[in-house]
This record gives sequence, structure tokens and C-alpha cells, in this order.
Amino acid sequence: MLKINGKAILCTIILLISLLSCVKDVDFDQANDFSLTPALEASIVYTEVEASQFSLNGVEIEIIRDSIANIEIFEEQFVKDNLIRAEFIFEATNTIPRTFNLQVDFLNNTDELQHTVSFDALASSAGNEVVTEYIEIFEDDSLENLKLVTKMIITLTLYPSSDGSMLNENSSEKISLKSKGIFYFDIDV
Amino acid sequence: MLCVVNAQNKQLLFGFNDIPQSVLINPSTTLDNKWYVGFPLLSHIHSNAGSSGVSAYDLFADDGRDFNSKLRDVIFSLEENDFFTLNQQLDIFSGGFSYGKGIEKDNYLSFGMYLETDIIAYHPKDYTILAYEGNANNIGRIFDIGDLNATGEVVSVLHLGTTKKVNDKLTIGARGKIYSSVFNVNSTKNRGSFITQEGDNNFLEHIFDLDLSVQTSGIRSLTEDANSDVSDDIKAIRKRLLLGGNLGLGLDLGLTYQATDQLQFEASLQDFGFIRHTKDIESYSVKGKYTYEGINPIFPEVDDGQTAEEYWNEVADNFEDLFEVDSITAKYTTWRPLKLNAALRYAFGKKVSKDCNCLTKDSGYINAIGAQLYAVNRPKQPQLALTAYYYRRVFKGLRMKVTYTLDSFSYTNIGLGMSTDIGPVNFYLLADNLLDYQNLAKAQSVSLQFGLNLVFGRAH
Repeated sequence: MLKINGKAILCTIILLISLLSCVKDVDFDQANDFSLTPALEASIVYTEVEASQFSLNGVEIEIIRDSIANIEIFEEQFVKDNLIRAEFIFEATNTIPRTFNLQVDFLNNTDELQHTVSFDALASSAGNEVVTEYIEIFEDDSLENLKLVTKMIITLTLYPSSDGSMLNENSSEKISLKSKGIFYFDIDV
Repeated sequence: MLCVVNAQNKQLLFGFNDIPQSVLINPSTTLDNKWYVGFPLLSHIHSNAGSSGVSAYDLFADDGRDFNSKLRDVIFSLEENDFFTLNQQLDIFSGGFSYGKGIEKDNYLSFGMYLETDIIAYHPKDYTILAYEGNANNIGRIFDIGDLNATGEVVSVLHLGTTKKVNDKLTIGARGKIYSSVFNVNSTKNRGSFITQEGDNNFLEHIFDLDLSVQTSGIRSLTEDANSDVSDDIKAIRKRLLLGGNLGLGLDLGLTYQATDQLQFEASLQDFGFIRHTKDIESYSVKGKYTYEGINPIFPEVDDGQTAEEYWNEVADNFEDLFEVDSITAKYTTWRPLKLNAALRYAFGKKVSKDCNCLTKDSGYINAIGAQLYAVNRPKQPQLALTAYYYRRVFKGLRMKVTYTLDSFSYTNIGLGMSTDIGPVNFYLLADNLLDYQNLAKAQSVSLQFGLNLVFGRAH
């Protein structure tokens, strides 16, 4: 009886030892290298304006302007810490036989100008769609400026006609604008 | 897709009737002793952790490869039905005794209390892809909000069960349980999607359709600032362990059919029960639909009504509403994970020892082989495991069981269990995935059970 019990104990010990396992060939410090690099795309503004709306009582409207305030996203600490590059992509489609200038001014919360984007949407001939694409890249200094932005002013300017023709209230052509931003992040945890 | 798994599977303990705790898996399992009592806090300690698709080695291998590229491989190789799981069980006390008319005492009563921790979290695949890649490379992809699916609980269980021999062939058993939930976190009914796709008026439109919720009980009172005293928290938890938590009821049922002297079938259902969460609840939900295409119109001079600024403020409000977290305190019910165990076994090899004064029928056989099926109901889908095993009474004081289990963690799961008796002291140790113990980092699952009992009046 004693001998049997001795064996039982021995077996227990052997089994226990065999279970004393190990964790090999791993380096958990690698988790320090962890980083996420997502790229987020988001719509910004879009619009479509008919040529007739640039005429009021027979007089051309040369400049139209709008603004967006209370933009909080660039002030977020997460964005300040992790945004490493941004691209703003604009596309103007013009069937109006006139060239426009599109300008976006980026301001901080004390209305100081941080950055300006400006490009011309070329005139259409014979009502054909003329597509103008413009990409503005924010990196380094311009990116740091973007991170202060709380307000955007969008200005559409109608250049004077080269042949003297005027837009009137019956003009059926139009200009449309699409835009989006691509935001590149590098998130180290 | 059939998903096989062994989380919570106690393939070594099931049917191992030299160990008193086997009756917790099937209340019809016949224990061959007159009475037993478990050492308090030591009679059954079970611990299991698993991950169906990935091991620590896959991520952290010291192989010179860039960690982030390994992480990427893991994120993209795991499916949304892959999961991480943790299950622990600790007997607080347990005991049992045979009773009945006549000498044979065909019935057995067992009782006890244990503490169980059970956590399952599915791989939130679409969330990790969104965090890892963003939406820029995934235009048109539907991100499934339902990929967030996790539940966890700590529950104390007071139980009383009886095993009754109906006739020479059939034994039935039942166990009633009272659950007292210590903590519960439940987020298993999330629905909805997030899509970025080409827009009609702008380059892109973003469609949010969110229906997310998480329910908790037993956590609010411990995290409240007013109750920052740890000793108060401990008192509160102790009270919950002793039926002071959110209560529920459950039932285990089992039957054992001795077809012939050598052939036996047994099956059981475990934890058919629920917990009603009425106290200390805090739940959150985010619900809403919103499509965003950009800010429009701009240029109020040429368009009617709104300025861009007004429109932008409206957009900001809509986003705020969409992501607004509602805090609710509605009562809720959770179901315990229902488990099915079934086994077919064949005993063989007559015992050669002459000193046997056995009374039970199968005592003459020292070997058994068998097949077992295990299934457990989980939030997304049931999980299954199949086991083949060999059991042997090595000698009077030592019984062993070897298992081979097919599950979603591996196809090479070998388990070994032993139960030793030294006088009335019964000690058992059960472990599976033994091949992985050479390097635990490669293991997708490990499970270990051990315990100490005092057992009296063994038949053989």
C-alpha cells in the first residue's frame, strides 16, 4: 500500500514538472512599436450655381462669398498630436463661358489668415463641361497652420468678360464645385 | 461556418467519476463514494484562456519582423467570428453524500457554491480595419457595427443536485442553481453600418446607421465617486457573492444509460438559466441614422435661405445627436451560456486484482475508451468540440484519462488528467493542450483544472 501511494506521489510530481512550461522566443516589448496609420476621407463643401444667379437687375455680381466658423476638428488634441498630412481636393465643373476664381481662406480663432488656397475654374466654350481639379497639400509648416484653423472663407470671383458679353437672368449654364479632404494619421500608442 | 472550440469545455473532467466535481458537469454521473467534502477554496480551480485565431507568438515572436506588419497580418487574417475567451471557476465549498433505502443507497445528493468568471469578446474586425486603414482605401466598403460583440460576467452559483438510479440501466440527475451576479457587461446586440461611398452631389457621401448599446450591472456603484472607499467596495462584492447581487435561476439536467455491462451513454445540459439584472444598472446606447455629403449650400447671395455657416452648425448638431450617448437604467435579462455534453463509452479489460470487493457493475473493467461531444451557446453562434479519450485505472490510487480534442484553437489538442487517492485525500490535475506547454506563447488555448477533496467510502 505504501509503495502504491509513493508511486502516485511520484506520478503527480512528474506531471507537475512536465507542466512547468515556458514562454520562448517572444519579445513583448515589440508592443512599444505599435502604430496605426489610417487615412480618413471626408466631404467638405459642394455647391452648384446657375449663371443666371450672377446677374441682378442687369448688373453682374462679381464676388460672392460665404464663411464657415466654429470649426473645432483641427483644434482637437487627437488631431494636433496625430495628423501628419492633409490633402484638400477640389473639382470645379464649369459650363459657363467665363472664368471664375475660387479662393478658400483659412483663419484662426482671432481671424488671422493661416493659409490660402486659390485656383481658376476655366471658362467653357459652347457649353461644354470644363473640369478643373486642384489639390492642396498640407505638410510641415502649412500643416501646423491648418491645426490652428477654426474658420474658412470661400470666395468665388467672376473675372471680367474678355469679349464684353454679360451674364443675364436667362443664362442657363452653371458652375459646380465638389471637395473632399484626405487626412493621414500616424497614431503611436 | 462551423466553429469548433473548447472554451469552458471540461473534456477531461466530464465522466471522470473518480473526481467528485465530475457530477457538476452531468448531474446523473454516479460517484462511487459514500460521501465527500471539498477542501474550501481548493476543491475545484479551473482556468481557461483561448483565442481562436491567433497566438501570442504570432504577434510577439522575436523574429526580427516589423511588429506593425505582423499586426496587420493578424488583423486581416482574423475573421469576425474569431474570438478571445477567458473562463475561470473556483469552488468555494462543495460536498455530497449517497442516500436512499436499503444497502445500495442508489441516490446521491451534492451541493456547493462556486464563483465563475466568463468573458468572450469577438474580434471587432471592421473596427480594427477602420482604425488601421481608415476609410480612404475602403470607399464602398460596408463597415459592420455588429462586429463589436463582447460579454463578460462574474457570478457566484449556489447549487444543489441529486442523482437518482431509476433502474439497472437508467440513472437521471438534476441540479438547481441560484445565480448571484457580481458584475455583468453585455454588448452583444449591436447593429448597423458605416459606409463611405461615391456621392451624387459631392465626391463622397458618408452614411451612418448606428445602433450600439452596452449594458452593465454591478459596476456603477463601484465606480461612483461618492463611494471611493475600497473596503466598502469589498463589502459590497462579498454581499453579492452571498446572494446579494442580481439574481437568477438555472437548471442542469442529465441522464446516464448503461446499455450493457460495457457500453454506456451519458448526456447533460448545463446552465439552462438566466439572470435578471435589476440593481446597480448602467447602460449606454448610441442610435441614429445620418447621411453627410458635405456642406451645402454655400453662397447665400445666389441661393435661397441658409448660409454655409448655418448649414455647418446644423451638420455639427446632427453629428452631435448621432453620436450622443444615452444613459439608461432599464432592467435587463441575460441568459447563461447553455452547455451540452454527451459521451459514448466502452469499458474493457477485467481487473486482475483479487482484493476487489466492488459492488458497482463496471468495477470489473480497468479501461474505457469513448467519444465526447461538447457544445456551448455563444452570442454569435454555438461552438463545438469533439473529443476521443482513453481512461485507465492504473492502480487503486491512480486513475488517468488522455484526451484528443478537435476544436477551433487547434487540431492537436492532447489532454491528460489524473486523479490520485492517498487515503481519503483525493487530488486531481487536468490539463489540455499539453503539446503547447513547451512554448506557451504558441498556444491558442490553455486550460488547467485541479482540486483537493476528502472522499470516503469508495466502492473500489
